[in-house]
Amino acid sequence: MMKTLLNTILISLLATTAFAEDVNRTVDAAKDGHVEVSNISGEITIEGWNQSKVEVTGTIGRDVKELIVERDGDEVLIKVKLPNRSSSASDADLRIKIPAGSSINVGTVSADIDVSDVNGEQSLHTVSGNVTTESRGEDVSAESVSGDVEVSGDNSDSEVEANTVSGDVMIRRVSGEVVGESVSGSVEVEGGSFDRADLNTVNGEVNFEGELRNDGRLSIETVNGSVDVEFVGAVSAKINIETFNGGIRNCFGPKAERTSKYAPGWELDFTEGDGEGRVDISTMNGRVTVCKK
Amino acid sequence: MKDEKLMEAAERLSKEIRPERDLWPEIAATINAPAAKRWSPLFAQAAAVVLLVGASSAVTYMTMKDSMSPTVVASTDMIFEQASFGNRYYLGPGFQDARNTLVADLEIELERLSPETRADIQKNRVLIHDAIAEINLALEKEPENMLLQERLLNTYREELALLRRVSSLTRNVMLRNDI
Repeated sequence: MMKTLLNTILISLLATTAFAEDVNRTVDAAKDGHVEVSNISGEITIEGWNQSKVEVTGTIGRDVKELIVERDGDEVLIKVKLPNRSSSASDADLRIKIPAGSSINVGTVSADIDVSDVNGEQSLHTVSGNVTTESRGEDVSAESVSGDVEVSGDNSDSEVEANTVSGDVMIRRVSGEVVGESVSGSVEVEGGSFDRADLNTVNGEVNFEGELRNDGRLSIETVNGSVDVEFVGAVSAKINIETFNGGIRNCFGPKAERTSKYAPGWELDFTEGDGEGRVDISTMNGRVTVCKK
Repeated sequence: MKDEKLMEAAERLSKEIRPERDLWPEIAATINAPAAKRWSPLFAQAAAVVLLVGASSAVTYMTMKDSMSPTVVASTDMIFEQASFGNRYYLGPGFQDARNTLVADLEIELERLSPETRADIQKNRVLIHDAIAEINLALEKEPENMLLQERLLNTYREELALLRRVSSLTRNVMLRNDI
């Protein structure tokens, strides 16, 4: 019985390998040009390198009609073309090396997107895949419907937008301005120093650990979810926290007050430091913790 | 099961609560007024929702008008009979029409997605509707609660953002992949 099972697995693996075709294509590219990538399913891994070339390697499924890799001026187009509707043999797992200074626009249906060492602007969209990327000073827009979105940075300033519907959002070591949104997943910001951070969920936790700059603005909203904020460094802001049903824990001193004698809500309004910035936290059902490191 | 519960809750609201006035004309008038008067947070939020709906609808319409199927019927099980706003106010037919347009657009795009992704999106829409119903129920008891009013409007906005975002993302990804 075990032997039959192993044979079946082996045959399946061999069949899968036999259906996949290896690809290896290279085109010249501008150092700081633009790269467009489209794929239906599989995986897209993009790495920046210091050569003025775009190299595409990996495997494409039996049903893939064509892999287009072409340059038009400063733009390189990489596209996995399918004849009709996708099938199980239409996956394309591509590893793409591009000049590090390139900007990229990637669109996939169910393929994961993984980007590293790219310094240009990034626009990454997938319907049901995960997005993992790095922010290196240029703007990043990453969105998925049912996948997770993870953006990590080197603490240089940029504008980062990370959205998903049912996945989690993780933003690490990013500075400047961030927007993180999920409907049913959690939103987490760790590290970084911010002029503005807008973090929203409907049913999901929100965790923020970072520095709020002078005149900075932190806004957190959720319907059903707890909120944990841990400021790094000194805080100078007017802080307003309100819950309809949930406690407030404040490490800065002032105590929260009940919104009404009969209701389970709490509110807290106070100024920390010179009050240059602004912090607004609001949840319907969930506890809020605000502390400093 | 959740749908039933939700629809029961929504039905209960529209039957038992008679809204005192429709916010829509006031919001529209406020938006059209040339001089900006000082808005209360409530009206600012409401106007933001309306603007979002208007902008989204316009963009969606412009994008889809050439490629849209001639007749599209949105599934009614996901639509509230009334966009209620506590027991004192409601966002009237203008809001509902705009939302219906976005829902219809989404229905087109959902057809292109896998059953798993469709189910996932629907699950999240139900979740938002559950949240809206929950806030509305709380507003019945505390109609003047500003936090609840803001959360309600923001959750409506969240729903519109979901409709718009999923439609737009799916359409763009599918178009560029020739699907």
